Amino acid sequence: MPDCNVNFEAEIEEGQNKRSVKCKFCSSVILTPATAAIMNVEHSLPLIRQTKTTEENPDTETTSVFWAVKDMFTFQNVGFSNTVGNTKYLTCADCEAGPIGFHDIPTKMSFVALSRVSHGDPI
Amino acid sequence: MAKKTYDLLFKLLLIGDSGVGKTCILFRFSDDAFTTTFISTIGIDFKIKTIELRGKKIKLQIWDTAGQERFHTITTSYYRGAMGIMLVYDITNEKSFENIVKWLRNIDEHANEDVEKMILGNKCDMDDKRTVSMERGELIAKEHSIRFMETSAKSNINIERAFRELADAILYKTAGREPGDNVDRVMVDRKPTSSSTKSCCNH
Ligand SMILES: Nc1nc2c(ncn2[C@@H]2O[C@H](COP(=O)(O)OP(=O)(O)OP(=O)(O)O)[C@@H](O)[C@H]2O)c(=O)[nH]1
Ligand SMILES: [Mg+2]
Ligand SMILES: [Zn+2]
Repeated sequence: MPDCNVNFEAEIEEGQNKRSVKCKFCSSVILTPATAAIMNVEHSLPLIRQTKTTEENPDTETTSVFWAVKDMFTFQNVGFSNTVGNTKYLTCADCEAGPIGFHDIPTKMSFVALSRVSHGDPI
Repeated sequence: MAKKTYDLLFKLLLIGDSGVGKTCILFRFSDDAFTTTFISTIGIDFKIKTIELRGKKIKLQIWDTAGQERFHTITTSYYRGAMGIMLVYDITNEKSFENIVKWLRNIDEHANEDVEKMILGNKCDMDDKRTVSMERGELIAKEHSIRFMETSAKSNINIERAFRELADAILYKTAGREPGDNVDRVMVDRKPTSSSTKSCCNH
C-alpha cells in the first residue's frame, strides 16, 4: 500500500503521534500517544508479506513517512530483529508481524512506518 | 524532549540447552501467530514489553540467547546487566533437565550475584512424551530456593505469567532495598551499554 493512500495528517499533533500506534494485525500497542516525532525519510523496507522465498533478496517497498523514536525504551511493546548490516528490523511484540520499521544502530534511532501500523485509542 | 514513559527497566535473559524452546518462548508463537517469512528468517534478538505491577510501569527487555552456546562458553559478558534469568529445560528431555544444575553453577560464577532466577519446565503440552516429572522440577527449584513453573510456548501456557512473576520478584527485591527513585536511575543508566554491546557483537 503506498503511503499516500492514507490520511496521516489527522494523526499528527504538534509533530507527534496524536493517538496510540498499534499493530494492524493484533492491536498490540507499540507506542503510546505523544511519544514519537513525525519524520520524512526515504527508506526501503522488506514487505510484510513476501511472495518469493529468497532470503537475500526480499521484496521491498520505499517508505517515506515514519514515527521517529530516540530511546528504544519509549516503545510500549516491540520486537527487535537480529542485526542486518546497520539495522535491526522492528516487529510487533505480540504477533511478530513485521517489519513495521527499522532501528538504525549508529544513531540509535528507531523508525516506525506509518503505513505499516494502525492508529487508535488504547484498549 | 520525550517524556519518560516508564518507572523501571528490567533486563531478562532466556538460558538453557539447545532445543528446549527459548526462542519459541520469546516469540510466543503459537500457531495463530503471524510469523512472516522475512522476520522468522533473520530472527528476533530481543523484545521490549511494558507491564504494570503494583502501580508501576515496568519495561521488560527480554533477550534470547544463541542456541549453540554451552554453559562452559558463557561468561560474564553474556550476563552483563541481566536482572532476571529464565532457566529453561524441556520436560521431554532428561539431559536438558540434568543440565539445569550446570547452568545454575554457571550463573553463580558469572552473573550478578543478586540476579533473580526462575526455572521453566517447557513443552508441558507434550505430557505423553514427558520424562521429567513436575515433582522433580519443583524439587530442584526448592533446593536452590528459586521459582518454578511448567510452561508451553506452543499452547501459550504460563508464558505471560512466568514473566510477570519474575518481574515481580525483581521489583520486590529492588523496592525492598533502596528508595524507588534511586533504584530507578541505576537501572536506566545501565541500559545503553548492554544493549549496544549486544547489537554490535551479536552478528
Ligand atoms: N510441543 C512443544 N514444542 C515446543 C515448545 N517450545 C518449543 N517447541 C519446539 O521445540 C523446538 C526447539 O525450539 P526452539 O525455541 O528453537 O529452542 P531453543 O531453546 O531456542 O533452541 P536453541 O536456539 O538451539 O538454543 C522447535 O521445534 C519448537 O517448535 C512447546 O512448548 N511445546
Ligand atoms: Mg533459539
Ligand atoms: Zn501484532
